[in-house]
Amino acid sequence: MWNFDDIQQKALQEIDACRDLDEAEALRVKYLGRKGLLPEIFASLSQASPEEKPLIGKGANQLRARITEALEGIKKRVQEETFDPTQRIDVTLPGVAPVLGHKHILTQIIDDICQIFVGLGFVVQEGPEMETEFHNFSALNIPVDHPSRDAFDTFYLESKDPGNPGRHLLLRSHTSPGQICIMEKYAPPLAVVIPGKVYRPDAVDASHSFMFYQIEGLLVDEHVKFSDLKGLLTVFCKRFFGEEIIMRFRPHFFPFTEPSAEVDISCYICKGKGCSVCGRKGWLEILGCGMVNPKVFSAVNYPKGKYTGLAFGLGVERMAMLKYGIHDIRIFFENDNRFLNQF
Amino acid sequence: MKISIKWLKDYVSFQLPAEKLAHKLTMAGLEVEKIEDAGDDVILEMEVTPNRPDCLNFQGIARELSAVLDKPLKLPKVKKLLYPKTRCDIEIADQKDCGRYIGTVLEPVQVKASPDWIGTRLSALGGRLINNVVDITNFCLLETGQPLHAFDYDKLIGGKIVVRRAKAGEKIVTLDGVERALDPSVLVIADAQRPVAIAGIMGGLATEVTNQTRKILLESAYFDPVLIRRASRLLGLKSDSSYRFERGVDFATVEAGAARAVSLILTEAGGGVVARRDVNPGRVRAQGKSVTVSLMEINELLGSELTVAKCRTILKKLNFRVSAGGPGVLKVVAPSVRADIKDPVDVIEEIARVVGYDNLLLTLPLVRAQNVLPQPEYPFAHKLRDIFIGQGYNETVSYSLLSQGSLDKSGLSGLPVVRVKNPLSLDQEVMRPSLFPSLLGIVRSNIHRGQKDNKIFEIGKIYLGQAEYKMLAVMGSGTRDKDWRALHNRAWDFYDLKGALDQMFARLGLTAVVYEACEDPFFKKGTGASIRAGKTALGRVGEVDRGLLQQWDIKHRAVFYAQCDFEALYKLASKKPSFKKFSEFPGVTRDISLAVKEDVSFQKVKEVILKQGGALLEDVAFLEEYRGEKIQPGYKGFIFSIVYRSSLKTLTEEDISIAHGDIAQALIDQLGVVMR
Repeated sequence: MWNFDDIQQKALQEIDACRDLDEAEALRVKYLGRKGLLPEIFASLSQASPEEKPLIGKGANQLRARITEALEGIKKRVQEETFDPTQRIDVTLPGVAPVLGHKHILTQIIDDICQIFVGLGFVVQEGPEMETEFHNFSALNIPVDHPSRDAFDTFYLESKDPGNPGRHLLLRSHTSPGQICIMEKYAPPLAVVIPGKVYRPDAVDASHSFMFYQIEGLLVDEHVKFSDLKGLLTVFCKRFFGEEIIMRFRPHFFPFTEPSAEVDISCYICKGKGCSVCGRKGWLEILGCGMVNPKVFSAVNYPKGKYTGLAFGLGVERMAMLKYGIHDIRIFFENDNRFLNQF
Repeated sequence: MKISIKWLKDYVSFQLPAEKLAHKLTMAGLEVEKIEDAGDDVILEMEVTPNRPDCLNFQGIARELSAVLDKPLKLPKVKKLLYPKTRCDIEIADQKDCGRYIGTVLEPVQVKASPDWIGTRLSALGGRLINNVVDITNFCLLETGQPLHAFDYDKLIGGKIVVRRAKAGEKIVTLDGVERALDPSVLVIADAQRPVAIAGIMGGLATEVTNQTRKILLESAYFDPVLIRRASRLLGLKSDSSYRFERGVDFATVEAGAARAVSLILTEAGGGVVARRDVNPGRVRAQGKSVTVSLMEINELLGSELTVAKCRTILKKLNFRVSAGGPGVLKVVAPSVRADIKDPVDVIEEIARVVGYDNLLLTLPLVRAQNVLPQPEYPFAHKLRDIFIGQGYNETVSYSLLSQGSLDKSGLSGLPVVRVKNPLSLDQEVMRPSLFPSLLGIVRSNIHRGQKDNKIFEIGKIYLGQAEYKMLAVMGSGTRDKDWRALHNRAWDFYDLKGALDQMFARLGLTAVVYEACEDPFFKKGTGASIRAGKTALGRVGEVDRGLLQQWDIKHRAVFYAQCDFEALYKLASKKPSFKKFSEFPGVTRDISLAVKEDVSFQKVKEVILKQGGALLEDVAFLEEYRGEKIQPGYKGFIFSIVYRSSLKTLTEEDISIAHGDIAQALIDQLGVVMR
């Protein structure tokens, strides 16, 4: 029969005397190891009498638990006593990570806007920037003598229009010719958004640029209504600017839509009370829109009276300026790292 | 256009506060941009859209307002005059330039200060008061929209009016005291000898109505809008008259405006009409177009539920003549001032405007499945952006127009560039034939602003001949990413840029990309490479020539540049590689250290290893390039790490030794390599 009390007392004394992890490990081997004392005690069970067996079993289990516990305790104590404080790292030093770049804010805004419409079933298309007078003006019901056709308002290229001898190509002054490109290629139903660069010979200042981005939208089908235009753009504005935004549709004029409207949103600074950002009006003009003028449909040879459509166009820089409080359009194209890194 | 609320109340009665009135006008399409208090009056500044020249005057605005507020329109009563038979001498050279000209000669007039009721109205809008005759012409312009001009009849040589183009070399001193040179693109009003006014824009000083004037000729005319606009731009001279002529005045108002002015002059300045002539060579009659529109069309387009009665009421308030054209059909004739009303949709817009856009329903469109396919390049561009952003590059967006100088400085002269005919400045002369000058300009301005580390890329178009091509361009300069644990930050170099490209090719699944040394005008000699995959040219990469950088004012700095053809990348990347099963057996790595002749490229060595390694070779990694005393002159040291693995079994030591030995032998035999 084993004297568990003596064994335990001796083991605990030895363990308590440990000074390092090696000694602790040696004691673990001595008592708990494969050839240690505890396996020996358990082995003795086979020769023990039926009365002794439970006592030995219980004593051995208790002993193993106490020794294991004592060894864990001593290991912890030894580790603390032997810790070299110079090994402590300054966890407040900065982490090191690969630098990530930034998508240009205009790319992000274009994508945000397009994705809203893609979610509503629209498709993203791009059109050419070098355009014909037909696409940029005539097909859009802009008359031959319209001021926007003057060299003061449109950049003309030295290249000749191959389909219209004597006329020059131009840099599109809006994304609306994209509507014509799509309609010349496809029959309704169609629902597209067309982002891209447009050009106008404006003297550059804080709010004017000779190049900027627009996004055009076009939905053509049977039975498209003005109320659909209102609904669609309301959904868009609320998703882009936030649910709390207040909007209004105001009559306006574009040759290629009839009826035409401009959409205003309540000023995000003054909440409609009137401030310097909105020019005391309480409203910010954000996009132009309307129902496609039937003359545009006849320019692309759609059957008369069969289709109606809605169209809209918005300036991307303006959206970015409103959303992020940017006051100078030139900063988008300077590409200063301090600007790029903010978005 | 500025309007005084007080003045407006002459024509329509209302009690609305200014803000409410402004809102009503804005929501009817006459956007009020500014509201200014002016003592007992309020001035509204309105933006009138180009299709509504009829609203560039008080009566026009009052007509709109009377429809919107449902209040009667009060127009001044102009007494019908019996004009004398005597005709004044008026000649129109070309009826295309001047469609109508009414001249009325009055005497004796007493030229003096205007009466208060005219003076206060004009002053409220910031108008300068001249004398009763001139002020009445200005008053009538603002009231009716018809520009008018009064000449001192006695100063018209030959007592004659000729509407003709200016002759080359002719000059005129206009009312503002400026002498202006004219040319045949400018329409003038001349007397028997000389121009006395620039038609539709401004009168001449020589025939100005002054306090000494006793006899006047009042002009009321219709001039060609395009002609007036071009002349106004050419001369850099704008006036209230030119503003209205450019947008188009109404043929009928030519007469009504003249009648109103004559009656006011008779009242305020006395005298009588002694001669008159209405030259209307085209016999153009002012008449609105007749348009037929059905209620179904109206409600279908607007998504509304309006009744015939409602539509009829609205149109009548706008002074349209409405008659029934059958059940549910309206036959509509717009007033002659509304030249913009030509089609059913124009009438529908009128109804929508007056109902109020905000009062129309809001529905969601049915967006059906469609034939138009998404442009796949669009998501692909985003994929490319993500790859470079993930590697620390900032995306830029730059102008597509450049100066010829920036091309010359970039060694890009002589390309078939697209030129702009009418650039505003030298920076807009040509469409860029390359993204290189754009990116270098950005790197330069960042460096000059003290930001020396630049890693940028742009996906943008270039323009050559008649075509537009999308390109990807990448540029870098400075040091690699900062790490405070490293003592020095290594300079960013060719292999950093090449690595970024390789990362992209790998992500796009392009495996067979090859770089070949090539010369390029903007690369430093010996550093340029062309990139291709099979037979497809993909782009170029290299270090920018130092001399070129000097020209760009970038000194003591290495800049690296790469460009890839977007379309080519897209086409190759869309071929998706199929899944390759990987081996379950362990691989073994063996290094191989070689001395290679200087003129043998890494690519050649690697190709031999890959070819000889065959099926057992899984991967070759390049560990080191070495030059120095431990290696014989004319040679460079290469160390590769080769991973062998079989898909069939665990390789034995013998299998690997044979394979490794075969590779060594092939390198010795084929490239004269020396084992180290």
